[in-house]
Amino acid sequence: MAIFRRSLLMVALTLYTSFAAGPFVWAAMMSLRTTTEIHRNHFAFPNPAHWEKFSDAWFNSNYGLYFANSLQVVVVAVAILTIVGAMAAHCLARYRFRLNRVIYFVLFSTIIFPPQITIISLFQILVQYGLYNSKIGLTLVYVTIQLPLTIYILESFFARIPADLFDAARMDGYSDWEIFWRVALPIAMPAVATTVILNFILLWNEFLYAVVLITDEANRTLPLGIQRFLGDTQEDVGMIATGLMIAIIPVIVVYAFFSEKLIQGMTAGAVK
Amino acid sequence: MAVVTLDTLTKVYDRGHAPAADAVSLDIAHGEFMVLLGPSGCGKTTTLRMVAGLESITSGTVAIDGRIVNQVPAKDRDIAMVFQSYALYPHMSVKDNLAFGLRRRSVEKAEIERRVQNVAGILGMSELLTRKPHALSGGQRQRVALGRAIVRDPKVFLFDEPLSNLDAALRVSTRGEIAALHRRLGATMIYVTHDQVEAMTMGTRICIMNVGRIAQVGPPLEVYRHPANTFVASFLGNPPMNLLEAIATDASDGRGLKIGGSGIKLGAARCPALQPGTTVTFGIRPEHVLLAPPPHGEGIAIETEVVRVEPLGAETIAIVTIPGVDTLVFARLGGDAVLSVGMRKTLYFDARMAHIFDATGTAMRPT
Repeated sequence: MAIFRRSLLMVALTLYTSFAAGPFVWAAMMSLRTTTEIHRNHFAFPNPAHWEKFSDAWFNSNYGLYFANSLQVVVVAVAILTIVGAMAAHCLARYRFRLNRVIYFVLFSTIIFPPQITIISLFQILVQYGLYNSKIGLTLVYVTIQLPLTIYILESFFARIPADLFDAARMDGYSDWEIFWRVALPIAMPAVATTVILNFILLWNEFLYAVVLITDEANRTLPLGIQRFLGDTQEDVGMIATGLMIAIIPVIVVYAFFSEKLIQGMTAGAVK
Repeated sequence: MAVVTLDTLTKVYDRGHAPAADAVSLDIAHGEFMVLLGPSGCGKTTTLRMVAGLESITSGTVAIDGRIVNQVPAKDRDIAMVFQSYALYPHMSVKDNLAFGLRRRSVEKAEIERRVQNVAGILGMSELLTRKPHALSGGQRQRVALGRAIVRDPKVFLFDEPLSNLDAALRVSTRGEIAALHRRLGATMIYVTHDQVEAMTMGTRICIMNVGRIAQVGPPLEVYRHPANTFVASFLGNPPMNLLEAIATDASDGRGLKIGGSGIKLGAARCPALQPGTTVTFGIRPEHVLLAPPPHGEGIAIETEVVRVEPLGAETIAIVTIPGVDTLVFARLGGDAVLSVGMRKTLYFDARMAHIFDATGTAMRPT
């Protein structure tokens, strides 16, 4: 019976892994093949493997620039989101003040708005402030759209940190500011890591705001760069796949670095 | 020197609601181990937190060594506190937990190291210094929490139910350790608990609180033997004091009372003169309900019917009824007492140990 159950589990896991990893493997194989080869046979193995496509994409198709732009915008946005989000979450979870819950509700309620509703007004605001078509503008927009969700995730974790810890730190002589940096934030690291990964992946792949708010070639982010290979009449599938692989690498690195914390964040029952 | 003085200390959380602490006045002498004892919600923790500076004060004052500290932040009161949940920083090692407060106070590194090692030695946890709190048992965590308070060498120690998360055996040993620590350090300590055994065994004095107010303050045995009111009488002791409604029948030297259908004589030395017809509460502790008349001869015979028997080995708790009385009476008898449910039995109240409380529940002394 146990063997049967185990086999069933293995079959289910194999099917799920194929379902989840299949497209990735396919795209990885295509990234090492030319578009002509792909059109000839969609699913063939890369033989020979065209590794030179990666350097070609990086140097000749501007992927290096797009990559650097994405990295700047997303790293800065995630850093601001993490610090401001954690501070706001700590404040909402820890301090009793008037309108605490109203502020929390207003922040949280913005999550329900689809991006299409805000994009026109954001465009208008950025034009007004001279931030349209700039990396700073896009960074600020990314912070704005992700901040409510970040606070929502972090607030619930900060609220679970026992108040006694803060009282103990106060008795130990620390100010509220120091308590946040030296006690609350380190304890909340699993949840902070969760939001770092979540925000990094979401913003790294973000397309809608970028395509509306960035038109200048010099400021394009990776998703916009990949779009360049989608023509009206034909598309360079091989190059798109190579671009995708380049784009995925940072996500895998971030996930590998923070995954242990992420799992802790998802499974943390109580802070003891 | 660390004398703590509370003067009409009051805390109101929500206007229109009863105060959590209501005009609490208390003088705690240097080196005293004061226990704040009371049921949940009686205001003992709120009072402690006001002393610590963790809770704002609605009115009244807290003074340490004569200096009013109402506006002094917690960190500047030179007080250390041990929390019920231990409140150890989970991301720091034991050593860092101990040193955290000292680092903030700009104590030199070598001095921090010396103090940490010293405290770790006192509490027998030198080998635990590199561990994180999650890798410690409940008792070890408790020691670290104690160590964190000791290492600061504060004027006053505050304890907020520090043993309530420990199992029974560990609680007994830790109780002894804290008492020994008090003797060793000679520091002023304020200890909050709802456990009367902790209060009786550790306190120099006990302050019993009820609904935000002080019900009685005194040395443990004095409070136990001479409760100021029915609340203290029923709160201290397990089983608690038997409190029976009684009506005065005569104010002569016999000092007669009627409990249910039974008439008793207490005598002028044991009972104040009461107008016949006055309703009072007669109190007698279970250990003063006896199988035989007391040797001194001042026993009050009372007819009872046994409704439950709880043999505990060293002693037997008998629960009996008295004709005409709804309240059950608890008797703490010797372990060899032979009783059975339904048995009619004459028991004896030790009149010397009887208590009389007036209609408001306040103890009355013989006049």
